[in-house]
Amino acid sequence: MDFSFFGELLEEEREITPEVTEGYRNLWVAAEAADGTLPPSTLEAIGQAREIANQIGVYVWASLLGDGVEPLAQQLIAYGADRVLVADSPSLAEYQPEVYVKILADLVGQHRPEMLLMPATSLGNDLAPRLAQRLNTGLISHCLKLTLDMSERLLLGTCPALGGEVYHTFACPQARPQMATLEPGYFRIPSADPYRSGEVKRVDLDLGGVTGRLSWLEREASVELPPVPLSRAKIVVSAGRGMGDAEGFALVQRLAEVLGAALVGSRGAFDEGWIPEDRIVGVGGQFIAPDLYIACGLSGDIYHYFGVQSARCIVAINPDENAPIMKVAHMAVVGDARQVIPAMLNALGR
Amino acid sequence: MRMVIPIKQILDPAGITVRRDKERIFINREEYIIDPGSKAALEAALRLKEERDQAETIAISLGPARTDDALREALAMGCDAAYLLSDPAFEEADLSVATLILAAAVRKLGGADLILVGRQSGDTGAGQIGPRLAEALGYAQVTDVYALAVENGAARTTRRWGKGYATVQVQLPAVVTVAPEAFPPRYPHGARIMNAYREWNVPVWGCADLNLEPSSLTPLLTFRGESFPPPLEPERFRGNPTTVAQEVITALTLHKLINPGGGSHGL
Ligand SMILES: Cc1cc2nc3c(=O)[nH]c(=O)nc-3n(C[C@H](O)[C@H](O)[C@H](O)COP(=O)(O)OP(=O)(O)OC[C@H]3O[C@@H](n4cnc5c(N)ncnc54)[C@H](O)[C@@H]3O)c2cc1C
Repeated sequence: MDFSFFGELLEEEREITPEVTEGYRNLWVAAEAADGTLPPSTLEAIGQAREIANQIGVYVWASLLGDGVEPLAQQLIAYGADRVLVADSPSLAEYQPEVYVKILADLVGQHRPEMLLMPATSLGNDLAPRLAQRLNTGLISHCLKLTLDMSERLLLGTCPALGGEVYHTFACPQARPQMATLEPGYFRIPSADPYRSGEVKRVDLDLGGVTGRLSWLEREASVELPPVPLSRAKIVVSAGRGMGDAEGFALVQRLAEVLGAALVGSRGAFDEGWIPEDRIVGVGGQFIAPDLYIACGLSGDIYHYFGVQSARCIVAINPDENAPIMKVAHMAVVGDARQVIPAMLNALGR
Repeated sequence: MRMVIPIKQILDPAGITVRRDKERIFINREEYIIDPGSKAALEAALRLKEERDQAETIAISLGPARTDDALREALAMGCDAAYLLSDPAFEEADLSVATLILAAAVRKLGGADLILVGRQSGDTGAGQIGPRLAEALGYAQVTDVYALAVENGAARTTRRWGKGYATVQVQLPAVVTVAPEAFPPRYPHGARIMNAYREWNVPVWGCADLNLEPSSLTPLLTFRGESFPPPLEPERFRGNPTTVAQEVITALTLHKLINPGGGSHGL
């Protein structure tokens, strides 16, 4: 008889119960402070950590690094942390990847958290992969959703792929801690309970000679971006003859500006002299595939629609419910664009 | 100055249709391109090279045999050399394994002053390779960079930081990840395209060349499935313009199609 499959079974067994995962407990959030407050992204991460911790019956720990950040520790407790490790020092005033990695890696080594969550901010996106590499563990980045596989006590992170068209879910079965970064705006901010109790502990800084290699020269720099080619614009705003006159067209222009969108139009808008020929969308013009296409005052027959059919979301503003564009739009706004656009600008705070 | 540019080849998104309603991905045309982030990294490197006399740009890529095309395109754009990192043992590589392989290749090349990669790739978009590679090699790092200059052993960068930008100087050697929107790539030079295939050699490095043990290349992450964002159900908005406008803005914000509060880089 062939018993070779026994060997395979044993192999598998060995893979599922690795020793490395033993002794790792509790759930951590690497909190961030910005301008003396806890940004929403950090509160979202605390809230998510609390939910997961309740499910598996562990504590939520938060680390907080920076200069003058200690007063914020109590807030982290109010939002759901049980214990906050604070590294508060003038030497941490500026973010230095190597220094932050050193401090967090030492803390992780000492306290062995089972999972470590960070917000996917500029800082988190810079720090988390470097920390994961130092800790020799896996990182699921830009998560939109976190769930648990209770059978194996695994964190499952769902993140966007193909520019958000598809979601992929990953787990880190072997290495610890299981790390994830959380995309800001996708998780609920918990409500604060000022009476919640927890412990704040100051960390003794031992940088072991590690120094930063960055010099932060200017906080308020500006950049001039090259124009985005139409074919790659994420948001495109489009005008048609229905905008009536130059004044109506100017509203569409303004909407494009406020949304940081590319401006195009129909053949009708070209005939009116509002847009140049290379900005006509349709079979006789440009083919585009933005995430969002806002069609203002255009009928959108097949000649036009063909050029924009790959758009992920089409919004049409038109008083005529039976205009072709209204039938293919994901959001069909029945109304006068000359009234709706100013109201939209208003709703956008402009 | 030696610059190494790890590039990634991806399926051309133009040949892919995602049907959320059918929960399926249709590959209409299986064509591969250089990832836009990688192309921006190549562009950033070539601009730095043009500014100085002594500069070397080396493209490397981890992938199957077809990745040779991407490397030849990098040569046609102006790179001086290209290496393909390919081995049956590399096939299952996740980000941590890819880091080991790329770091081994950089070491074999004798190190680099500057490593340029895209901020995030267009397919998986994890954005991990840059910082992971910096850690593996012990280099400094700056991510999400929109402008870049190199002088006296340091790189001066303008990087995204929160909702704005900051100017940060970094000591070399360093890994810099670039924002694709800031470095629109050049077209390959016609004559160089011919040469890229006829004259230049793209060596292939495998485990043995890189001194890697196949057993050390165990991925840390496992794939647990694919899902789809909910399809957009057609919706009609009627009534008072003010109310309607508010509803539309809310719907667009909920679907993450617009972000009235600032970019996804915000805090
Ligand atoms: C071979 C061929 C190729 C073509 N190629 C193209 C092409 O590539 N691209 C292209 O665009 N066209 C093309 N056309 C032309 C196309 O058929 C349409 O005639 C053109 O797109 C119409 O432009 P329009 O929607 O701006 O104007 P109209 O068709 O006049 O539509 C105006 C719309 O505005 C609406 N409206 C009126 N008042 C308001 C208001 N206050 N607020 C909001 N909406 C209002 C109306 O209800 C109407 O739906 C082509 C035609 C042919 C024959």
